[in-house]
Amino acid sequence: MNAVLNVATVVLILIGAIVALIAAVGVVLLRDARSAMHAATKPATLSVLLIGAGTVLQLDSLSTVSKLIVIVILQFVTAPVGAHMLSRGITSDTDSSDDNYD
Amino acid sequence: MNISLIIASIALLAAAALTTSRAIRRGTIGDRAVAMDALTSIITCGLLVATALTEDAWFLDLALVLGLLAFLTSVAVARFIERRGL
Repeated sequence: MNAVLNVATVVLILIGAIVALIAAVGVVLLRDARSAMHAATKPATLSVLLIGAGTVLQLDSLSTVSKLIVIVILQFVTAPVGAHMLSRGITSDTDSSDDNYD
Repeated sequence: MNISLIIASIALLAAAALTTSRAIRRGTIGDRAVAMDALTSIITCGLLVATALTEDAWFLDLALVLGLLAFLTSVAVARFIERRGL
């Protein structure tokens, strides 16, 4: 049982870390701020979910598990809202002055 | 298991380094805000991996505070860009 949990943890955490690494490569390579945001907002939810699911398998006390669930839910609520507001700000900025790309 | 988690930590560290280089190197304040937003979510992932590695619960407090501060920061920067047009 313990070995199965360990394997599941390792697989979930490695997938989450690889997703975060690919997204960081996208953040560096994409030129426009809105294109970079397309890559940057994926690990904010997906890899936090994967790594949180991997971590929760290793915890044994209820208070720790509930704290981790709160972290993941908070990230799922706040990250898209923050990214949306940021993209609105960037869009209104680049529309007012057209040649602001890079 | 420990060695795989350390490999995951190294991947997250490389991701954080790439994102920081984008935040330092180029562009408008919007570029940097996007990069810092990605960096805070990567740091949250790193704190969760540290929790799985050491089974210390206090990393989770850091992750909680960091999530709240990241939301506050991106909203404040977005309002600032929208109003001032930087």
